[in-house]
Amino acid sequence: MNSNNLGLAFFIASLTGLLLSADPVLATQTHGQPEGLYVHQMAHVFFIISMGSLEFWLRQRNLIKEKGWKYIQWSAVLFILWNINAALVHFLDEHLDILGISKIDLWHMQVESIQGQDSISLMYYLLKLDHLLCVPAMFFLYFGLKTILKNTTADNGNRVKP
Amino acid sequence: MIISSLPILLVDLVGSILMIILAFLSLRLVFKLREQDHNNLIWTYLWWICLALSCFAVSRSAGHILKNFLFMTGQESFWAKIRPFSGAINTFMFIVVGAVTLFFERIWKIYQIVRKDRQALQLAHKDLLFLNQNLERLVEQRTNALSISEYKYRKIFEVSKDMILVTEKDGTIVNLNPSGYNLLGLDRETDKIDSRNASEFMAESEKWLDAMASLQRERSISNVELDIITSEGTVKRILLSGSMAESADNEVETIHFLVKDIEQRKRMEEQLAQADKLASIGELSSGVAHEINNPLGVMLGYTQLLLRGEKKSSERYADLKTIEKHVRSCKTIVEDLLSFSRKSETEKEMLDIHRVIDEVITFVQHHSNIEHITLEKEYSPGVKPLLIDEKKIKQVLINLVVNAIHAVEKTGHIWISTDLNQSTGDLMVKVRDDGHGIEKKHLKNIFDPFFTTKPTGEGTGLGLSVSYGIIKNHGGNIFVDSKAGVGTTFTVTLPAV
Repeated sequence: MNSNNLGLAFFIASLTGLLLSADPVLATQTHGQPEGLYVHQMAHVFFIISMGSLEFWLRQRNLIKEKGWKYIQWSAVLFILWNINAALVHFLDEHLDILGISKIDLWHMQVESIQGQDSISLMYYLLKLDHLLCVPAMFFLYFGLKTILKNTTADNGNRVKP
Repeated sequence: MIISSLPILLVDLVGSILMIILAFLSLRLVFKLREQDHNNLIWTYLWWICLALSCFAVSRSAGHILKNFLFMTGQESFWAKIRPFSGAINTFMFIVVGAVTLFFERIWKIYQIVRKDRQALQLAHKDLLFLNQNLERLVEQRTNALSISEYKYRKIFEVSKDMILVTEKDGTIVNLNPSGYNLLGLDRETDKIDSRNASEFMAESEKWLDAMASLQRERSISNVELDIITSEGTVKRILLSGSMAESADNEVETIHFLVKDIEQRKRMEEQLAQADKLASIGELSSGVAHEINNPLGVMLGYTQLLLRGEKKSSERYADLKTIEKHVRSCKTIVEDLLSFSRKSETEKEMLDIHRVIDEVITFVQHHSNIEHITLEKEYSPGVKPLLIDEKKIKQVLINLVVNAIHAVEKTGHIWISTDLNQSTGDLMVKVRDDGHGIEKKHLKNIFDPFFTTKPTGEGTGLGLSVSYGIIKNHGGNIFVDSKAGVGTTFTVTLPAV
């Protein structure tokens, strides 16, 4: 038996021993309530980073000189803003205890600032209209793709087939 | 602060629906893009982004719509149950969209490489296709161009008035142009020069070897004077230039020679030099002859006076006769010198040259022993009378014929012919013999006064000088073509009236 086989046998034996002697705490970790929120916020940050990198590379590769890609760049920028908006709303909703939000009826709601500042309440209200950012972002994406498709179709039409 | 929820509800609801619609419309556009080019990596990338965004839009918007619906219908508790699930999917889709988006830079780089390679391939394909479709025509065009080029240079080779000779490094002939064949006296049909060596045609092998050595050393030579021997055995002077060159297949080096025939030019130069020389000698002779002629006349007169007073039997009479004889000889020489220097008087009249020649032949036949010598004549028809001094022209012809008789010695042929030069109308009288000929070294001196190859006492060396003077005095010319051991031809030209 060579040294490689000896190593493998030792590894299997150790692993078996470890599994047999494991406590429940060691095997899995429980995930409590706020963990989902953290992950969601992190996802927003990750989305911001990825859209920021897309915007950066579009500039770097000079693609923004083309109309289609320029629209996509605007889409990325709007998505970044939307993510900031959404993350801020989540933050106000879940993290800070500065707002008291309650539903009065189907068509009315009450937003109360602990410090009694209506401006914070108003800001929260406006931030809740986040579709005003993500829908234009999707519009820009759509127009960007449409322009690219149009240009590509024109290019293919002009190309002389051999 | 109590605020209306309606704007938020409306924006949320409409925005959610729009998000789904726009996401799917975008997906459709990317689908179309991919339809155009399935292999385009960027379209694939956009496809994944739009797909992820669509999933995200559906998950989020569906959640929002459901939430609003449940809230409106008072089923908030049900929403509380499905909310974590909806939020989790929503979060997951965020991450997917973000993750896919992050790949843009890498995807773009790969796309650029692929596009570059594809363009190169397309270009190569295009070139290949073009070549494939036009190969025959291109080959034909190239062949035509080559043919034209070949024809052009072949023509230069063929029509060149100078000899063009191509040899290997050792002088083995590779190619020779028509002028070369003419110069060497060869026949293109019958004489094969391939593999013959150029040195075979060189009269002076040492000079040729020197030229070749110089050529190998310096890779070119320019205007080297050499003598060549033609196939008929005549020697011609040439001007040789040459350079080493790679052969067409770059395997062996060849030498390209350009050979100029300068024989005619050299002869002209020599004739001019000869004429100049003879003119100078003529001036000198004329001066001397004039100065001597008068004293000789006085000497002859007094000698004859003294002879009258002497008895013929006396010794003194015999002495005076000897003086008289030698003075007369001297006078003859002086007269000849005057003839040579063209100072003697001439009496020209219109005469039939053929009659003059006939009389000369008759005279020579009567006064010379030419039993074993064949004398032939060939006259050109239609020769008009010429303005000539009969006596002096006869003197010239007798000189030439007698010289021919001396050249053939006991047996041989002498030809006398006349010919008209069609361009100038001048008459050419040729006296040709098949005698011993004149050595090359003597040719340039034969018209010099007192030049003779005969033993002392057998000739004054004035015969040809006098002939030269007489012909020049007639506005004509005399020249000689001779080869030792073969024969001599004297040509006299006399101008037409």
